[in-house]
Amino acid sequence: MSQPHHPVKVWDLPVRLFHWALVALFAFMFFSGKMKGNWMEWHMYSGYMILALVLFRILWGFAGSTYARFSSFLAGPGACIAFMRKLLSKSPAHVPGHNPLGGWMVLVLLLVLLAQAGTGLFANDDISIEGPLYKFVSKDRSDQLTSFHYYNFYALLALAAIHVVAVVFHVFVKKENLVSAMVTGIKKLDPSTEVPAVRFVSSWRALGLFVLALVAVILIVKRPF
Amino acid sequence: MKKKILLAAVAFAIGAGASFQAAAQAKPEQLVKQRQSAMALIGWYFGPIGAMMRGDRPFDAAVVARNAGYLEVLSHMPSEGFQPSTKDEKTKAKPEVWSDKAKFDKAMETMQGEISKLAQVAKGGDMGAIKTQFGATGKSCAGCHDDFRMK
Repeated sequence: MSQPHHPVKVWDLPVRLFHWALVALFAFMFFSGKMKGNWMEWHMYSGYMILALVLFRILWGFAGSTYARFSSFLAGPGACIAFMRKLLSKSPAHVPGHNPLGGWMVLVLLLVLLAQAGTGLFANDDISIEGPLYKFVSKDRSDQLTSFHYYNFYALLALAAIHVVAVVFHVFVKKENLVSAMVTGIKKLDPSTEVPAVRFVSSWRALGLFVLALVAVILIVKRPF
Repeated sequence: MKKKILLAAVAFAIGAGASFQAAAQAKPEQLVKQRQSAMALIGWYFGPIGAMMRGDRPFDAAVVARNAGYLEVLSHMPSEGFQPSTKDEKTKAKPEVWSDKAKFDKAMETMQGEISKLAQVAKGGDMGAIKTQFGATGKSCAGCHDDFRMK
């Protein structure tokens, strides 16, 4: 631990922008969903944006930089158990990209967010506003999906809380500042950490994929087939 | 003239008493139907105002004023259907409607107040002002839906 940590850039700009944009939008969704009234209009726009972001992140998980790819962070059960042992021990548990547990959390969060945004499209509040795809389902189905949208939010909130607690644990117990890494993209890794070659993909490709995702969402929302 | 007024007052009193009695004596399923019908109508006349406020439909001040006027009357109807006898009917009403009646009644009154304001503002025909009051009204509806209605 006395050896100097070496800085390695792991998170590309698109991953970082995605992460913090999602945090801001998630907070706004919570707020606007509770406020009701005219805030619901912005709740919907913000939901479309989250949907586009999540779709983009899934694409980026296949076509992004090394540590943005699912293949780099979805580890098998053996690796997860080995990592958990490391976590509970006193030795550092530094991983250049997402660690095996965090990697699965990324996938779960993306899927639960997708379900949240997807059901929102069919939801109705029984007062004055409906999701853009409400007209394609029966009122009963919409009510079911609205109910799911309501409870699934608490699942999301719980997952976000676990995520934050885990990050706090890494920062204060394992002495790995994941927050600054997600801001600067640079992790200060313990010298013993193995760092395979990192390949960064151009942010322009990310922009292209995000625009693609956004257009797909606009098509779904504005002129359904 | 005086006689006419008196007659009208008596007729009104009998009418009001009759409707009150009817509510107390009506079968629970009728009461549920009464309040659900009133709610359906409120949604029917409130929804288009929302669509206009969001720009999903062209703004028509006359329709807004007409609907808001209907809503002002309708807003007083649902509470009549929430008699204690309907407690065990299978609906989305939570038991808190009756166990926390004071809060429920207060929420109903708030909604009636906001709708009444909406009807006033709607007469002016100013879209910005209507939108603001529309938001406040929607929020007051949620005041009951959030706490007294199953998800």
